[in-house]
Amino acid sequence: MITKPQKRISKRGLTVWKISGALHSIIPLLLAGGAITLTIIFDWPIWIIGVALMVFAIYAYLAIMVIPTMRWKRWRYEVRENEIELQHGVFIIKRTLVPMIRVQHVDTQQGPILRKYKLATVTVSTAATVHEIPALDMDEAEELRFFISNLARVAVDDV
Amino acid sequence: MSEPKRLHPISALANFFKQLKELIIPILLFVVVGNSEGLIQMYITLGIIFLILISGILTWLRFTYRIEEGELRIESGLIVRKKRYIPFERIQSLDLSEGILQRPFGLVKMTVETAGSGTGAEAVLTAISKEDASRIQEALSQAKNGVLDEDEPQEEKRATVIYQIKPSELLLLSSTSGGVGVVISAVVAFMFQFAEVIPFEKVYKELEAVITSSLIFISMLVFLCFVLAWVIALIGSVLKYANFTVKKTEEDLIITRGLLEKKQLTIPLHRIQALRITENIIRQPIGYASVFIDSAGGSLKDTENARVMLLPIIKKKQIDAILSNCLSEYQLDGKFTPAPTRALKRYLLRGFLISIPISAALIYFFQPWGYLGLAFVLVALLFSYLQYKAAGWNLKEHQVILRFRGISKNTVYLRKNRIQSLTMSESHFQKKRHLATIQAMAMSGSGATGGKVVDLTTEDVLRLYKWYSYSDVSNEEQMP
Repeated sequence: MITKPQKRISKRGLTVWKISGALHSIIPLLLAGGAITLTIIFDWPIWIIGVALMVFAIYAYLAIMVIPTMRWKRWRYEVRENEIELQHGVFIIKRTLVPMIRVQHVDTQQGPILRKYKLATVTVSTAATVHEIPALDMDEAEELRFFISNLARVAVDDV
Repeated sequence: MSEPKRLHPISALANFFKQLKELIIPILLFVVVGNSEGLIQMYITLGIIFLILISGILTWLRFTYRIEEGELRIESGLIVRKKRYIPFERIQSLDLSEGILQRPFGLVKMTVETAGSGTGAEAVLTAISKEDASRIQEALSQAKNGVLDEDEPQEEKRATVIYQIKPSELLLLSSTSGGVGVVISAVVAFMFQFAEVIPFEKVYKELEAVITSSLIFISMLVFLCFVLAWVIALIGSVLKYANFTVKKTEEDLIITRGLLEKKQLTIPLHRIQALRITENIIRQPIGYASVFIDSAGGSLKDTENARVMLLPIIKKKQIDAILSNCLSEYQLDGKFTPAPTRALKRYLLRGFLISIPISAALIYFFQPWGYLGLAFVLVALLFSYLQYKAAGWNLKEHQVILRFRGISKNTVYLRKNRIQSLTMSESHFQKKRHLATIQAMAMSGSGATGGKVVDLTTEDVLRLYKWYSYSDVSNEEQMP
């Protein structure tokens, strides 16, 4: 029996996800604001305001609190000598195996929010697929990239 | 053959047509948008066409190729001069095809493919004589296999035919192909395009008497149209797949097909990534299937072309005998472990959930005929059942077989060293029933291919997962 991957991603990653969740909530906020404004201008029934606020509140709650937390709790990874294993997903939990000899290249990347929190995302590419380990501590990500690219020796004949 | 050579002059014409094809939309727009009496426009258009012709000829004049120092050296370019030197070791395959332009002159078009990651061919020699083509091929195989000059022609002969389509099979293939739909939509599009030109009203008036008198006549007419479309599709398919032959050499599979336009495809055996047997819903009941291979190189770098039809139509029983000749590393036999009975509920539920909104919409909008939408639900449930029946897997030492159905039933054979990544997934509801999904990905051209089987037992999925894990394998290797 293979043990499930153990390593978690950085706790700061959760903060970043919450921030980006908040940024995503701006769109429903604008929609709700628009609906409320129109209701006031055109004297539509009051309950529309209530519904608009409710929808926004639920969306924001899910996008800022629930989903990032669940996602963070589920995210596990492990880099072994022969393979990389990832486990993630909110509603559907996926476990993926990527053998080292299939890894073509490894990248790290960083958006503005990730940079502020000194985090980075590691991207592992095979000949057919791309896998991401998001929001790792910057040093850890660098180290991981170095580690994987050293181990990854694609067997020429197998692609 | 070290002095620079030009292509056959016919390639000037080919260049012209190619350029014209690329510019046809701007030209049409130019002509259509302007007012109808614009003589100037006509002159300009003719001028442009003339320029294209000149550039086609000049392009041909500038294009030279030669073989020098183990390289294929191509110099081309009208304004920007390009020199492209391709070392023979880098060449993955040389493919020959004979188009309508090439055939009358006994010429071939040669496509040179390398392992580079860019899309499209590395170099195309639009029209060269067959002798020149075989000279290049010889030079290539010499460069690849050392200098054994006398050996080469023998190798050429060693190509064994492993499959050749029979007339009856060709007919069956063509009559059950999906091309009919394409033809029908093309006819409809054509009708709309020329609706203004065809004197429908006149035709209608003459037919009015007949038409109003009998509904049967109309249905006959519609039926006739369908038959006609089917016949056109059939002919198209016959022309495309006639003489379908698969040959095997030491290192390559060579597929040739086509009646008017001969196509040849070379697939290096060691670049084959996956094998797929597809049984479509019409051919499955009569025991026929198609065999595809996914390749990572050769002339198949573009994603859409990377899946190659190896055997267009074949009795399912014969597949094993044919493939054991050329793809012996794949083991076709094996008993499948099916999805467990408790998965049936989930399959049916999925079919039900997908079909219910569509059928509800039909019932709501199209009274009273919309109630036929209920039949749609039944069909969806039947399909779900068939999908459930198809789901299964089989494990060999170095190979996994995944069987699943979308519309057609697919059986995918993947060797462990060709699988790029393996994913198992379980949703909350699957977990409750102790079920899981397995998905294996392999490379196909510049994209991905693979197989996915939904709702197997968690133990089965874990077994497949463990089989793929290299950590365990390394332990076993260290043991002895």
